[in-house]
Amino acid sequence: MSELTAPNETETRHVVLVIDDSNDVHRLLQARLKQEQLQLEAATDGAEGIERVIELMPSLVLLDLDMPTMDGFEVLRHLKESSVTHDIPVVVLSGLQSPADKVTAFDLGAVDYITKPFDLMELRVRLRSALRMADLVTMLAQRAHIDGLTGLYNRAAFDQRWQQVTSENDRHGKPLCVGVFDLDHFKSINDTYGHPAGDEALRVFGALIQRECRSCDIACRFGGEEFVLIMPETVPEDADVVCNRIREKLAELEWPAHPERSVTVSVGVAGSAGRSDVSPEAWIEAADQALYRAKKGGRNRVVIEALPSGDGSALKQAG
Amino acid sequence: MARTFSQGDRGPIRSSFSDDPDMLELVQEFVENLPGRVAQLKTAYDSNDRVSLTRLSHQLKGASGGYGFDGVGAAAGRVEASLLALPADSDVASLKRELNELVAMCQRVCV
Repeated sequence: MSELTAPNETETRHVVLVIDDSNDVHRLLQARLKQEQLQLEAATDGAEGIERVIELMPSLVLLDLDMPTMDGFEVLRHLKESSVTHDIPVVVLSGLQSPADKVTAFDLGAVDYITKPFDLMELRVRLRSALRMADLVTMLAQRAHIDGLTGLYNRAAFDQRWQQVTSENDRHGKPLCVGVFDLDHFKSINDTYGHPAGDEALRVFGALIQRECRSCDIACRFGGEEFVLIMPETVPEDADVVCNRIREKLAELEWPAHPERSVTVSVGVAGSAGRSDVSPEAWIEAADQALYRAKKGGRNRVVIEALPSGDGSALKQAG
Repeated sequence: MARTFSQGDRGPIRSSFSDDPDMLELVQEFVENLPGRVAQLKTAYDSNDRVSLTRLSHQLKGASGGYGFDGVGAAAGRVEASLLALPADSDVASLKRELNELVAMCQRVCV
């Protein structure tokens, strides 16, 4: 799941990596930042620093400039050139005080520059400020993948995950299913009870699908009243069980805004018990076809479309 | 800072963090280890070991300020700067004055 696992939990202690050739500086920072709720990690030269940044993926790097062998400018350049470490904020902590050094550090991508010997209060507030900014950037990046109404992953996040998941299916041949959920007669709920009732139905169903799916599944709002559930390593028979459970739970719900009317969902599932040669787009199209049949068949039901697995290539062309 | 440059001043040099309980232990440790650092500086100087002398003075420059001994840090910085300005084939003996100043200052340091 990598970057998409935890959309709202960032309450853990920040990891801050200090790259400085002086053990004195490491000890001083440990003592000075004791109350800051940080997990301080240490590297004592540039090369080790780069290795540890990749290993730890810290919230922030505190970087000395004046180091033997590989100096801080080179470390900074390296971190900013790599797509893996590019977004990690770097605060320079240096004895070099000339404006030229500061300009170079900022040009290379440093977010702040603290001079040694550091003033305790200044160090603390500058670190807090840099971490606050880093948290905001992370939150914005996550928001870009989150649907505002339901809190589920949005269409953009789905597209990204679906490409990854189908390419894994293609590589490893593990089972995979995808379910497309469409709330039945949603327009009529909106028209009869108003848009707040419609939004409530979407919100409640978003929470329900998230709660009732398994931890390995990925629930997304596809748009409008349509939701998608990616079910990795799942054969069609098991996907049927998961989707029917969600469908039944929804049908059982009582709605304070319209107690006389229940809300139901139709589901189309496309799945394969092994490697499927179907393209990512054709896979969704097959699920849409199954959804269409579920609607035609009277709604409030799950229809499964088992895709050919193994070397079948019939649908590949269709994508 | 001005005090440490004064020729006549031979009094003790105390850490500007000497009243900070969080720092006390660290400052004590630094002060206890300082004679060892001075000995290393002298050894490197006596054996004309320019690389070690540069490294030691650089580290002392960085550390001293952090422990509240800005004057020592500045003196170590002058040794390092002179070393870096020294032509490649020159003897470190020409740094005698800067090094003596640094050593004298280190000997006056206390918690």
